[in-house]
Amino acid sequence: MAALPPPGRVLKTTRLGWLTAALVAAGALCVVFPFFWMAVTSLKTVPEIQRLPLSIFPDRWSNLDNYREVFHRQPFGRFLLNSALVASIAALSSAVVSSLAGYGFAKFRFPGHGVLFFAIVGILMVPFQSVVVPLYLWVNRLGLLDTYAGIVAPDLVSVFGVFLMRQSIEVVPSDYVDAARIDGAGELGIFWRVILPAVKPAIATLVIVKFMWTWNELFWPLVVVNSPTMKVVTLGLVSFTNMYFIEYNLVTAAAVVSVLPILAVFLACQKWIVRGVVMSGLKG
Amino acid sequence: MDRQRRAGLLFVLPAVVYFGCVFLVPLIESVLGSFYRSVPGGASQFVGTRLYVKVLTDPTFWQAVGNTVSLLVMSVPLTVVLALAVALGLHRLQRLRWRSAWAAMYFLPFAVSLVAAALIWQWIYDPVYGALNHFLGALRLPPLKWLQSLDLVRPSLALVNVWARLGFDTVIFLAALQAIPAEFYEAAAIDGAGPVQALRRITLPLLNPQIVMVAILELIFNFKIFDTVYATTQGGPAGASQTVIMLLYDTAFKYFRLGDASVMAVFVFVSLLLVTLLQWRLFRRQVEY
Repeated sequence: MAALPPPGRVLKTTRLGWLTAALVAAGALCVVFPFFWMAVTSLKTVPEIQRLPLSIFPDRWSNLDNYREVFHRQPFGRFLLNSALVASIAALSSAVVSSLAGYGFAKFRFPGHGVLFFAIVGILMVPFQSVVVPLYLWVNRLGLLDTYAGIVAPDLVSVFGVFLMRQSIEVVPSDYVDAARIDGAGELGIFWRVILPAVKPAIATLVIVKFMWTWNELFWPLVVVNSPTMKVVTLGLVSFTNMYFIEYNLVTAAAVVSVLPILAVFLACQKWIVRGVVMSGLKG
Repeated sequence: MDRQRRAGLLFVLPAVVYFGCVFLVPLIESVLGSFYRSVPGGASQFVGTRLYVKVLTDPTFWQAVGNTVSLLVMSVPLTVVLALAVALGLHRLQRLRWRSAWAAMYFLPFAVSLVAAALIWQWIYDPVYGALNHFLGALRLPPLKWLQSLDLVRPSLALVNVWARLGFDTVIFLAALQAIPAEFYEAAAIDGAGPVQALRRITLPLLNPQIVMVAILELIFNFKIFDTVYATTQGGPAGASQTVIMLLYDTAFKYFRLGDASVMAVFVFVSLLLVTLLQWRLFRRQVEY
């Protein structure tokens, strides 16, 4: 029997293969275009963005005046710091609580085990917007409006995290746990020295994905933040736009400022993020 | 209870308590709140189902529901079909030069906030200086008003959603495609099946669970659309892009009609619950054959 060439090779030599490649590449360029357009606009002056005929590239690539102006008009440094702080707290607390719960659900049987896990899964069906009014009233009652604690309160754990950690811890052999127990290790010691080292990749995924989600969130910060100094960067970007919305050279510069840190994280950790998306395909 | 079982319970306790406080209790409060009218000054008054009647007979509410549905009808099928096409393309082109870079380009919008995405697009859609109208001009077509137009505002916003979500769905489809054993295609090729037949008879049927899942995820995501609308049109022009969550937000935090907002919150919850139940049904039917 003649050896069959792999499907990729067959396709590559055909016209269909070339067409597919051209379409995939063209589509990718279309998807990236808004980023490109944001970047070049942020380097242009007002006359440049209003020029006819349109000039695609900025006259001076080193023109950072828009960025200076953005930081001058609004405390974007503070916004970035707020976002970084809130997203870090959310990511860390999520990692801790989720791996504890994931271990509990994966390796123990206790009364209410099934019911509790089912209830947590059920929370996936509760859209955040359905609970936002009572949550706001609680945060208000506790005097947490305009505080970091208030901003981060609903983001401390996500169902996604509990899911991810349970799935990952389930495949850690129970023999390891039993062996450590026979050696006289305490339950927390087992968690710390046996389980956590075995699921480091899952924890990395969780921390990165959770950091990204929290960084990009708008709805809840919009509800609980009033003072300019407590704004996270999404909120800062929206209010900046509401104030100077015709000045797109500034708006795009502000957008670049808000996006750049998370894009850096994304590009550095893409592997883990893809893993997170694939492993669960859900957002909680 | 022996020591080990107690330990298990203690491990899950923080998460359980947290979810109870942040989701379960507020959900119950939302449902209860929908039966009370809050009076300025803090007191509230039981009004039975009167708020339901009020909200559910309000044309503004139904306009928002209509807008939301029309937005998701435009963006969900388009996102799923495009993501499927891109994933199939990328999967076929295993030897494409810089393949992972092309894939990453599709995934890039997933990283940025919807606020930033919406603002970039608002600039592209700008009626006077926007890139899109420059492009139309180059094709000798008249400029359009995009986000300021009653007819185009929803398609324009839908396109932003498609752009933002395409990569996420593509990644899920790509992973599923990679899980299909190559022998299936080899066997089909020996039997003389062409690429179209292989797609129809092997790929799509095996991908069905992911297609259903992605469609439902997109349905839920698009139903809850808020950030893009809030950052750009704020529901305008003339309420043409007012969505359910936008209306909920305005009702609760602009007009402080918390009871009305709770009715909408319950509506959103029940709608998405029905979608999820539909998903379960679809999955169960899947398993049958």
